[in-house]
Amino acid sequence: MTSRRGFLAGLMASGLAPAVTWAEVGAPDYLSAAQAPDGSYCLLGVGADGSIRFRQPIPGRGHAAAAHPHRAEAVGFARRPGTFAFVIDCAAGTTRAELEAPEGRHFYGHGAFSREGELLFTVENDYDAARGVIGVWDVASNYTRVGEFDSNGVGPHELRLMPDGKTLVVANGGIETHPDSGRTKLNIPFMKPNLTYLRLDGSLLEAVELEPALHKNSIRHIDVRADGLVGFAMQWQGGKGDQPAILGVHRRGEAPRLQLFGTDPEVAAQMDGYGGSVAFSGDGRYLAVSSPRGARVQVFDAETGALAQILPMEDVCGLGARPDGFLASSGTGRMIMFEADGPHDLGRSDVRWDNHLVPLARV
Amino acid sequence: MRYLIPAAVTLFTALAAPVAQAGPKTEAILDQLVLPGMRNLAERTADLDATAQADCAADSTALRAAYNQAFDAWIGVSHLRFGPAETDTRGFALAFWPDSRGMILKTVKAMIAQEDSVVDTPDGFATVSVAGRGFYAMEYLLYDTDLTTHETADYRCRLVRAQAADIARTAAAMEADWRESYADVMRNPGPDSRYKTDEEVLQEFFKAVVTDLEVDADLRLGRPMGKIDAPRPTRAEAWRSGRSLRHVVLSLTALRQLSDLLDEGDAEVAGRIDKDFDYAFSRADKLTGDPIFAGVATPQGRIRVETLQDAIRTIRTDVNQYMGPMLGVAAGFNSLDGD
Repeated sequence: MTSRRGFLAGLMASGLAPAVTWAEVGAPDYLSAAQAPDGSYCLLGVGADGSIRFRQPIPGRGHAAAAHPHRAEAVGFARRPGTFAFVIDCAAGTTRAELEAPEGRHFYGHGAFSREGELLFTVENDYDAARGVIGVWDVASNYTRVGEFDSNGVGPHELRLMPDGKTLVVANGGIETHPDSGRTKLNIPFMKPNLTYLRLDGSLLEAVELEPALHKNSIRHIDVRADGLVGFAMQWQGGKGDQPAILGVHRRGEAPRLQLFGTDPEVAAQMDGYGGSVAFSGDGRYLAVSSPRGARVQVFDAETGALAQILPMEDVCGLGARPDGFLASSGTGRMIMFEADGPHDLGRSDVRWDNHLVPLARV
Repeated sequence: MRYLIPAAVTLFTALAAPVAQAGPKTEAILDQLVLPGMRNLAERTADLDATAQADCAADSTALRAAYNQAFDAWIGVSHLRFGPAETDTRGFALAFWPDSRGMILKTVKAMIAQEDSVVDTPDGFATVSVAGRGFYAMEYLLYDTDLTTHETADYRCRLVRAQAADIARTAAAMEADWRESYADVMRNPGPDSRYKTDEEVLQEFFKAVVTDLEVDADLRLGRPMGKIDAPRPTRAEAWRSGRSLRHVVLSLTALRQLSDLLDEGDAEVAGRIDKDFDYAFSRADKLTGDPIFAGVATPQGRIRVETLQDAIRTIRTDVNQYMGPMLGVAAGFNSLDGD
């Protein structure tokens, strides 16, 4: 019998002929889930100018998406505790495949492709065991589930492929939930989030935790810079008043201590203990975090951690990189681009932008 | 990129909020509900402590009565999970539930098996995991037939006394915190304070209502309901002591009182939410024959529980939709319901 590792390696080597490319579908720069004015939900392709390039209906509230590195194909995930994900052919306007979480599992809303797009990795909750799982799906065989491994923590919310193409970084948020109890957090006194690096076969490379006093700071969202610096945004579960910083960076192999940005109490308090999205600017100089509850985006120098800019924006959450700045989206339908020459309001569309703007690789 | 706006200037502007005063609603909530509720909790838990020191037998009528009265007092204020309840994890130390991983029984059994002497001093016992402390752990000692018939009666007695003393101590600390400090924090919002405006104070109470309605619907009712083909009656809250439905009713009673003060001044909103509560109470009345939701295992029983759950969810929807905007809560797509 083929070992799992051997099997996955075989898949990686098989390669795929590219179908329709991103450029042919109006060249969207980002994907975002949204709610339409009639209350229905959709996944949209968005240009750098904030314009909508395509719109695909989905059956329930979405969260984030994973864009195939080469093909005009995206996987949109249900908001947790959803059990569906859709592979959307962004050119033909059709659903190419449906992914259903296995029995006893639900998706968390994020996923990532391998470098050449042969495999899709999904973050899942094995809820009876309160165990985080990474599901592995084979793209060529119409997204068949081909394996899974432990996420090394509870509540893996987002994962990303590291620039080496061989490593996954996982934000294990630490929070136990069970569909029988709605979205209620079941283990706040005992939660222990971590940032974990795994090989693509699931073997553990490194895991880092916050200092014990910050164990209620759920590590939820991550972005990775081209050189491997990981930015992560957190959501504080310890209540109003003691809200700590919600943004940090970590570099693999360095001391297992998470460097926190925005630790000045006033700067931290502005975000109301809640980081919604995190992104590096395209040039890698800046790291931004959004807070819909604090109604603003804070931008930090990615090297020094110094606060560089604050952008007030009602119900902001989605953040995507621009070459030397960011694009931000909000639940009010607004998009604002902020770059070297200052913020540009790109106007308001008729949809409510959901939590994340997912950048598409240019091919 | 160059950022044109210096951070310090932007910061300063963002924080220059107007100085605010406590409004009449905040005063009423604190004086009529929160402070009396906390005083009641401190008194009832002190009674529980005194009773347990006098008689620690699991089947003691006096002890069980004191336990139930103290637990009632807690459920009446358990929606106030911010501030003083958050300090030193007091809320969880009094009430670790739901216990989805069965940690209470594991913790209590381990202490009994080792006859752990940590129970012999209050400071020592305060270091025990929250799973071994509070009302839910004590319920096992008083009502779990397995534990109460165990042979180590002497150790169980020491543990019950330690739990009662710890509950009283935690409640007293929380009450003092409200009376001596936190009520004033809420009465005096300002730019340098935890609450910038009176509106923010009311929003904290608003969130408490919404969150506890979710606890009632999703946890107190949802957990025993389980899945339609797999009901889980023994997941009902405090079923050993027969308190499951009682907690829902006590919670709804407290939430209604708080809602009444929050939506005062808008007759239309108040009328709608009042009607929602009336309906939920009428559905709870239908369950008096099933105080621990054992009926979730039968189609008829399940429908009765589900109807109450729906009624509570309707309150939540209307509170969010009508009371929220009234209190200036931004009903943001992302801010209200993030992930």
